[in-house]
Amino acid sequence: MIPTLTIARNTFREAVRNRIFAASIFFALAMLGLVLAVSSASLHEEVRLMKDVGLFLISISAVFIAIFTGVTLVYKELERKTIYTVMPKPIYRAQFLAGKYLGLAMTMFVLVLTMGAVLFAMLQLVDGDPGVEMVQAFWLVYVEVLIVMAVALVFSSFSTPFLSGLLTLGTFVCGRFVDVLLNLRLGEADERTPLTETISGVVRFIAQVTPDLSIYNVTPHVVYGHPLSADFVIQASLTGLAYIGIGFVISAILFARRDFV
Amino acid sequence: MTQVALSTTDIAKTFNLGFLGALRPFKFLAQRMQLKGIAHSVEAVKSISLEVNAGEIFGFLGPNGAGKTTTIKMLMGLVHPTRGTGTLLGAPLGDRAARARLGFLPEHPYFYEHLKPLEFLDFYGRLFRMTARERKQRAEYLVDRVGLRHAVDRPLRKYSKGMIQRIGIAQALINEPDLVVFDEPMSGLDPMGRKDVRDIIFELREKGTTVFLSSHILQDVEMICDRVAIVVDGRIRSEGALEDLLEEPIQRYEVVFTGLDNAALEVVGALAAETRAVAGRHTFTVETDRDLDAFVRVAQDAGGRIVSATPIRQSLEALFVAEATRAEDA
Repeated sequence: MIPTLTIARNTFREAVRNRIFAASIFFALAMLGLVLAVSSASLHEEVRLMKDVGLFLISISAVFIAIFTGVTLVYKELERKTIYTVMPKPIYRAQFLAGKYLGLAMTMFVLVLTMGAVLFAMLQLVDGDPGVEMVQAFWLVYVEVLIVMAVALVFSSFSTPFLSGLLTLGTFVCGRFVDVLLNLRLGEADERTPLTETISGVVRFIAQVTPDLSIYNVTPHVVYGHPLSADFVIQASLTGLAYIGIGFVISAILFARRDFV
Repeated sequence: MTQVALSTTDIAKTFNLGFLGALRPFKFLAQRMQLKGIAHSVEAVKSISLEVNAGEIFGFLGPNGAGKTTTIKMLMGLVHPTRGTGTLLGAPLGDRAARARLGFLPEHPYFYEHLKPLEFLDFYGRLFRMTARERKQRAEYLVDRVGLRHAVDRPLRKYSKGMIQRIGIAQALINEPDLVVFDEPMSGLDPMGRKDVRDIIFELREKGTTVFLSSHILQDVEMICDRVAIVVDGRIRSEGALEDLLEEPIQRYEVVFTGLDNAALEVVGALAAETRAVAGRHTFTVETDRDLDAFVRVAQDAGGRIVSATPIRQSLEALFVAEATRAEDA
């Protein structure tokens, strides 16, 4: 456990001392400022618009930063050869991977927390009480980010950062539309060919193995002020934990077999 | 009985390149594709068997691409051997208890640039589960020992290549290891830095630490190593104690004379294999000690005065070049 926490701490410290991290936070806050400006221009819908667009921006920017940093998490260690001095120490490769993941998870927590706190404060200024559903939404955004990071870790275990980024982005998009993809049948019933059936089957299979990320998008509840049940939040968190666990095990198996050349 | 600190038995590594490389984790598939000729592979290390005794300084030499770094990476658990086995401090490769007693400096090291030297050493100390007090004491000592006290407030991104090499040596010693593996420790260092590293290595030997080092700087290797192995094309071509490897019979003599006129030079030069003239002195190369006796007699009879006669033995560099060339010919 000590090596994992040591690596996590170092990863977090590296991210925080990186100018790109500060720039990301600044950019996200600037976007939230824009939300404030746009929503104040709308008549009687300021709060709804602010919640809707604000949550969307927090979610999308956090996911994109997670994809970008997630796919380069291990790659950077290999590229800069810093891994050469860490792996010969008395640690397991899985501990290294867990440490890197945990460090990035801490970084993303700070990022989501900062953006969430700003949106929360803005809503308090305008509306008075953003409601508990807003805090629940922030938490679920964070869980979704953790899942996306785990997916990025899996893809980056065997492919280049660029390809890993594309695959992770694809997984995120599929994950947000799992319901649609699961019910996809190309063409009308009388127009279906073996080819359209095959394509539909492949798409449905992809949807079945893709993490269902739609459950983490609770914007409608927030916009209309409907708090989520504690059961739902706990279940969604546990589901997320399962996805992360599966992703981590796959990454650890691939990482254990890898040569650091 | 001498204890073995490090050993390898028929260790080998083949890298799969190109598309096949991406399939590395799926060994079975990769092997099948290779059989069908879809991709190719490179044998970086063909077969290396060696033993390094506890307490000795062992030099691991070879030309570029000979397989030195790959062998070291296999020992350090960074690369999986395709074949063969090895031990570190009596335990199989990868044993965590053995790694806790190991120090390693890779070739051309890169480190976490956001850290300052004491933070950097603290990070590695934590990986060894050292206590806070141990980490602090050891880091402070090592920063002084490698001569970086003046730069202790600077992050590593502001360090020169030589300073990075020094802090790299410090991290390799943070846990007071029993076995240290240095891959090109003199690389990037000025003459003073090289001397410092040599002194550190001598200190380690005095403490009974085993040092396994690869280096291109043969002068340093000759100065500090007890035994060496020369690797060429993924195999060991020569191995042994330096005095044994270099204890070849005298290969030739260099004799320096003054006072020889042109007529005498013509007579004397005919007896030598090679003649060079520098600032009124003539240096002659003669092949055997019997030739030497005859040569000196004739040169003195011709009016020459002998300045010196030096037997020339094989140097490590000559041995290195001979082994590398022999492998190329083969």
